[in-house]
Amino acid sequence: MQRTVKAPVKRGFLWEMKHNRSLYLMCVPALLLLLAFAYLPMGGMYMAFTKYDAVGGIFGSTYVGFQNFSYFLSGNPYFWNAVWNTLIINFWGLILGTILPITIAICMNEVKNGVFKKVSQSAMFFPYFLSWVVIGAILYGFLTSNFRVDRKTGELIITGANGIVNRLIIGLGGTPVRWYAEAKYWKTIIILLDVWKWAGYNSIIYMAAMAAFDGSLYEAATIDGASRFQQIRYLTIPMLKPNVVILTLMSIGRIFFGDMGMIWGVVGQNATVLDAVTVIDTYVYTSMRTMGFGFSTAIGLCQSVMGLILIVLANTLAKRINDGEGLF
Amino acid sequence: MSIAAQTSRKHSNHIRHSRNDRWARAIAYIIVGLFGLICLYPLLLTVTVSFTPEDVINRDGFRLIPRTFTLDTYTYIFAHSGARILKSYGVTILITAVGTFASMLVTCMIAYAISLREMKYRNVIAFICNFTSIFSAGLIPWYVVCTQWYGLRNNILALILPALFSVWNMFLMRTYFKAISPSLYDAAKIDGAGHWTIFFRIALPLSITALLTVGLMYALSYWNDWWHALMFIDDRDLYPLQYYLYSIVSNVNAVSSGRVPAGAAANIRLPAETVKMAVTIITIGPIIFLYPFIQRYFVKGIMMGSVKE
Repeated sequence: MQRTVKAPVKRGFLWEMKHNRSLYLMCVPALLLLLAFAYLPMGGMYMAFTKYDAVGGIFGSTYVGFQNFSYFLSGNPYFWNAVWNTLIINFWGLILGTILPITIAICMNEVKNGVFKKVSQSAMFFPYFLSWVVIGAILYGFLTSNFRVDRKTGELIITGANGIVNRLIIGLGGTPVRWYAEAKYWKTIIILLDVWKWAGYNSIIYMAAMAAFDGSLYEAATIDGASRFQQIRYLTIPMLKPNVVILTLMSIGRIFFGDMGMIWGVVGQNATVLDAVTVIDTYVYTSMRTMGFGFSTAIGLCQSVMGLILIVLANTLAKRINDGEGLF
Repeated sequence: MSIAAQTSRKHSNHIRHSRNDRWARAIAYIIVGLFGLICLYPLLLTVTVSFTPEDVINRDGFRLIPRTFTLDTYTYIFAHSGARILKSYGVTILITAVGTFASMLVTCMIAYAISLREMKYRNVIAFICNFTSIFSAGLIPWYVVCTQWYGLRNNILALILPALFSVWNMFLMRTYFKAISPSLYDAAKIDGAGHWTIFFRIALPLSITALLTVGLMYALSYWNDWWHALMFIDDRDLYPLQYYLYSIVSNVNAVSSGRVPAGAAANIRLPAETVKMAVTIITIGPIIFLYPFIQRYFVKGIMMGSVKE
């Protein structure tokens, strides 16, 4: 039998470039920006294998092999402290940052009063619009402390403005805390701030997912006599599971990345507190000044490679769970 | 079981459940209301403190409802560092306006191009974009390249160029462009329109909501940016507003940690508590005013971004 279907004309790269020239031209500015700020710096990762000096620049400095890597991997306590902090902060951020937004989204679904719903949603979404610097400044109004305890009498003397939290503690008869000098509280503070900032944003994601649920399921459940609690327990939460899995996998892919903006914006240059909350990203930034470019580039390189491996793993896992639909 | 008994059991079941449901609803209202307050309270506190006299704050501490009201803090700020704040405002407005416009142009062009099926290498380009979000060179190489090759130190372009193109926003925009019916493009093509004409005359005008959504997201990120200033800017004349606030707050922060020697601490003149709160309000002022109008676009954008195609 004769073939009636014509084989598609094979057209090459050049033909495509010429034919759709304007389309490719439209991509040029964005691709140039990516080249300049994402791809060319990748070449700069070579610094990790050098003893960087300003005269030699990126490619002219002395090659030292894996010396930088062995230095921080072999028992550098500051580095491992930063890794540990990153994991702890991200872990709790992930747990609380999943539970709270889902709770909010489910509760939001039960709220029928339009004005109440609108106002409270606006309030919850607002922290997303604030930079970490602004949040740091606002936090100051809560935690600032100006007091001293008289050595002889043990009496508490207020020497200036005290933040909301200390006023509450004093009001309840307790001893106020010098928050900005006590490192031990700051992991908790940072985790709570992170969850607080993103809760409204993430609840919107879950609400969008819930809006797509099949309403007839709920109707059927109501007819069968299921209470709202039961509907939430046996319908809403199981149906949210795929979203939770995807978002969790995405977070796990980034578990070695700290939010430097958050740490730096809130804690800033407070050295007393910084050690307790320093993450890999801030450690890279501070060690850039103290340990040199080669050393800090090496840390960044390890972080990026670990990140890439984890993201690819997470993506493979997501595909398996999600019928071939990956994260990206 | 008789029918009557069955009905009555169902009835009592119904009543039990409706009471149960009322509880569910009450709990939902409480949780939503409580968390709403937790989000709103800090902001209200900041506003009221900025309108409270400094000595009242020092005596009574921070409180939500001030006993006295004053505009002194704001008059003080504008009398003493008005020029500096206005300059920072200028920098922030400039980078927000120029940056958002340039970002939108660059983002929309590439998003439009790779939204079209007729472009053969659209997936290659999408991958080139995507790869930067899963693998990056890290802070130091990026910093060295920016300062030594591009000369971005103390350059206002440092506050615009590195943040100009966001891959996430691009994919968001592409989703919107994909929703436009190709038949509209085909009609224009028959009339002899090229891709530039179609882009500017059809694709963009049909995506006003999308443009607002993505544009506002860019604008917010430029407005809130202090990070690039931390990296590249030493010249106080180029401080954006957020970084000006940062420089005030981080000074205070360092002194109250007790690490700074007492002698040095005495030399650093701390801005008063009220001044800090007032500068915070000045920094986020435009966001507060615009918030009721722009909020829904962000909600739309987040929903759009979270729904996978």
